[in-house]
Amino acid sequence: MAEMWISMGPQHPMTHGLWTLRVKVDGETVIDTEPDLGYIHRAVEKIAELRDFTKFTTYCDRLCYASANTWSHAYIYAVENLLEVEVPERAEYIRLVAVEIQRIASHLMWLGAYCPDVGNLTAFVWCLREREMMLDLLQELGGSRLHYNFPRVGGVKRDLPIGFAQRCRTKINLFLNRIQEYEAMLDESTVFLVRTQGVGYAKPEEMVNHGVTGPNVRAGGINYDVRWAHPYSVYDEVDWEPSVEKPSIKGADCYDRYRVRVEEMQQSARMVLDALDKMPGGADTHHQHGDEAILAKAPLRAPEGTSGFHHFEDSRGESMFYIVGGGEQRGKFPYRNSIRSPMFITIPYASKCMIGYKVADIPAIMGSFDPCIGETDR
Amino acid sequence: MGMKIDMEAAEVAANLVVAQGRSRWGGTGLTMEVQHHAGGRFKRPYIRIDCPPQHWLAVAKWLRFDAGVDHCSMITGIHWPEGSDERRWEVVIHLMRMNVIDPPERGNWVEQVVRDASILQEEDVPLEFEVSICLPDTRTPSVPSVQQVWVGADWNEKETWDLGGIDFDGHVGMRRVLLPHDSPVGYHPLQKQHKLRYHDFEEMYDDAQGFQRKPVDAGKIK
Amino acid sequence: MAEGDWLDIRGWVEALSFAIADNTVGMSRFWRQKGTTADILTELIMAVVVFGLIMTTMLVLLWIERKFFARIMDRRGATMAMRSLWVGEGGEHVDWYGLLPFGTGAPFRWLNRWLNKVAGSDHEVESVARVRDRSYHGIWWMLPGFFQNIADAVKFLTKEWMVPTKADKFVFEVAPFIIISSTIMLFAFIPLGPHVWSANPDLSLLFLMAIFGIAPLGVFFAGWSSNNKYTLIGGIRSAAQLTAYEIPLLVTVLAVAVLSGSMNIIEIVEFQMDMDGWNLFLLPLGAALFLITMIAEVERIPFDMPEAEAELVEGWWTEYGGLRWGLLFMAEYLRAYAACLLFAIFFLGGWEPFGGNLVAQYTAFIPGIAWLLIKSWLMFAVFVWVRASLHRVRTDQILEFGWRWLLPLSLVNLGIAVWLRLWVWQGEVWSPLVPGIITAIAVALFVLLAIDEDPESLEGRERPYSVHVKAGPAGPGTHKK
Repeated sequence: MAEMWISMGPQHPMTHGLWTLRVKVDGETVIDTEPDLGYIHRAVEKIAELRDFTKFTTYCDRLCYASANTWSHAYIYAVENLLEVEVPERAEYIRLVAVEIQRIASHLMWLGAYCPDVGNLTAFVWCLREREMMLDLLQELGGSRLHYNFPRVGGVKRDLPIGFAQRCRTKINLFLNRIQEYEAMLDESTVFLVRTQGVGYAKPEEMVNHGVTGPNVRAGGINYDVRWAHPYSVYDEVDWEPSVEKPSIKGADCYDRYRVRVEEMQQSARMVLDALDKMPGGADTHHQHGDEAILAKAPLRAPEGTSGFHHFEDSRGESMFYIVGGGEQRGKFPYRNSIRSPMFITIPYASKCMIGYKVADIPAIMGSFDPCIGETDR
Repeated sequence: MGMKIDMEAAEVAANLVVAQGRSRWGGTGLTMEVQHHAGGRFKRPYIRIDCPPQHWLAVAKWLRFDAGVDHCSMITGIHWPEGSDERRWEVVIHLMRMNVIDPPERGNWVEQVVRDASILQEEDVPLEFEVSICLPDTRTPSVPSVQQVWVGADWNEKETWDLGGIDFDGHVGMRRVLLPHDSPVGYHPLQKQHKLRYHDFEEMYDDAQGFQRKPVDAGKIK
Repeated sequence: MAEGDWLDIRGWVEALSFAIADNTVGMSRFWRQKGTTADILTELIMAVVVFGLIMTTMLVLLWIERKFFARIMDRRGATMAMRSLWVGEGGEHVDWYGLLPFGTGAPFRWLNRWLNKVAGSDHEVESVARVRDRSYHGIWWMLPGFFQNIADAVKFLTKEWMVPTKADKFVFEVAPFIIISSTIMLFAFIPLGPHVWSANPDLSLLFLMAIFGIAPLGVFFAGWSSNNKYTLIGGIRSAAQLTAYEIPLLVTVLAVAVLSGSMNIIEIVEFQMDMDGWNLFLLPLGAALFLITMIAEVERIPFDMPEAEAELVEGWWTEYGGLRWGLLFMAEYLRAYAACLLFAIFFLGGWEPFGGNLVAQYTAFIPGIAWLLIKSWLMFAVFVWVRASLHRVRTDQILEFGWRWLLPLSLVNLGIAVWLRLWVWQGEVWSPLVPGIITAIAVALFVLLAIDEDPESLEGRERPYSVHVKAGPAGPGTHKK
């Protein structure tokens, strides 16, 4: 067959969002790719210049619908660096619980979306079933199902609800049992291994140079995690270890990227359980809104010449906010708010990874990098 | 038990890099100093570099190959229409020393590199860098591209030009990435002359659909 | 010769048409054509009967697909309306029976309490309970969701029919007819029971397999004529994988024919009934091969590359919509149905009851067609099970699998069949030892292969399935280097 360009997207089952991947194929073999982004660019960075620091949290939630909490927390940490705020330790623990539950939910969403990519619908529904449990927990914390607006500058919106710890432990333990079902479904299925092993090799050094971060780079055997490399919360006090894969010398393939996320879910579950045990003041006490144990006083304005930035371990990699103070209304608004999206940098690299594989591998490879277009286009 | 790097080791490592940098780049107008994050539990050190635009490519190569900075996080373009004379445009580049060592190979497999973070010393400590490049008032702001040094800077630079209008010399394949491909030449919405809010009128809320917007040739054509 | 059962539909139809012919043509001056007329009438009526039977019983297939698949996925929705009658949403009871006068609702209350006790939705985790609340696990014999198929059909009927502007309209219109007509033609040769068939030539097996191979041609037509790159790739994939599974399929079927000594489907069934041995126990390898190749033939997961929805949107039928799409979908299920019926006929003893003669003497009141349908429905449940638990393989993998494994194995299977027929079979009933030993060997092999995994050797070897091609950036003529 002659060479031809195929335009996959913006509406295509492979894309997991609204973007276009233009693929040049020679028969069934991919010989060139070209990603095209920007379909849902919402000018969030421009909008940020007209919102004060608390109002912008909701926009951060909406950067990524699958992982809202991690994004608003990344933003809040950057604002706290800008405004020089110390957060109470209990609030840090509650944030950790919220973020790690969100990470589990996000990885479940990824796993659920990945299985149809390689042709199985069953695990998709199983994952969404468990994700619903996680969303229930987050709903108890933040009050809504997807966009929580949970963190505040200097703490969190509200304390753990009464009985939350008990329910959370039950659900996390149930979830840890259910992971075995996925492993029986996927790791022990030759067809799944045939589809994911040896496909989409990504070299570790190359990934770092290309700016790929997070689970994708840990799948390449590199133990790099913002949570210990640039420590920010109470991750040094709870029980966890970074999940790192053991790839082949050709690099990390789709199977490694699948394993690293499954293990990361287990680590997150471990972290949540441990954080509930170690919560200062006990996980069963409940403070009122705005109590100083969960919310510190924070200034409203950032003077001119200040800036704050924060690297954050998002579910998909290293997210980052860089905020320059001193905007309109005597510093009530930021002068510039810049967002680093991990997937914006990863998608071009993932597209390069496909060259040389078959058309059927395109969704298998692209899906394994966990694209989320909401954060990519901002 | 969780792990984290030792804060004192990070402090030492940051000072070491700054000392090396000062001896290498002394007298070129480049300043380098250790600063600290102001919030959070750990006042983590990071290295702030103010770099003249003409030296940026050389500094980048020094950072990449001598200081071991292997990861380009983000590039931000800022427009300061009312800034000082030497700072009308600014490019802020956030880099990280992830300190990745190539994982050792054994047979067909790569060994995992799992290290105890708390014993990392000097060159091994992950560090954050903030590089600021200021440009004077010009209609065509431009800084050297570091696309060849860190491939990760590629799309960051594209985005900075697309939204902020700061061009990168030597960047191969510059194009619109987030805005439509047929956006007008010279239209870069994060420049400060584009405002969302006018006197008594907020475009986002008062005319979200754009019905009241008039075409540019309104009144000229009957 | 196996006895027919009491449901002698063909006999009744013959009697009826002879009576009609006697009283119409037989009364006229064309009385010599009486017999011919009666025969034609018989065949016509039988065709209609078989067609109607197939079409109505096919609804069960769709229902199994929907329900069994949903149950495996733990996605038991779409029937919550019925269950909410007695459980209500969110565990809240509706208690409509409390409104009935004079306590006449009491039996409903008892029933409701009992149902809630037996199949209620209590779970310690409330979100799990909520998911179970949405589900149906009560009155299965009410066939919840069964009549959804009719609603689907009405939806397809009322949709607009659109042909893409630049499609080759003639071929685009003809392709569904090739597929659908050849699919329906299959059932002319598939007997549903000893007396329920519409055509029975001596070489019916040959006819059947020939007709089975027509539809991929229509798929290729449809993919090419739609003028869409996805459909084109889908069509070409269909043509490419055709050879990989069609040849092993034919060789496997040939083995069955060799063992039974006949190319006639009814005689194959009768051979199994007379000789007291289902082919499943004599040719277990053949049964496995037939199952795999038939799944590929009817394009279901894991072999549905022509319509791989992840990368090809909907494969070769992307551009079809409305009634054409509905009919194509129906043809897809009809082919799956044919595959199940053939598996039941070739390997599960056709319309012989489970348990053979021991059971048959007590179950004579159940007609053979019921056994055959139940067997084929169970086979379809296996198809659904496979679909729910496996992923989609890649085009090059099915080609490799077909040529490297299926073809040699099917030849081995043919050899086994020849050996059984020529040297083991003595012209009388199988001794129970023969199927017993073969089945024991097959089960032992299966268990061995299933548990024989050496984790250490897996650890040490390179990823075995890599297919990476060195491909440079695209340029003119790069594919020729």
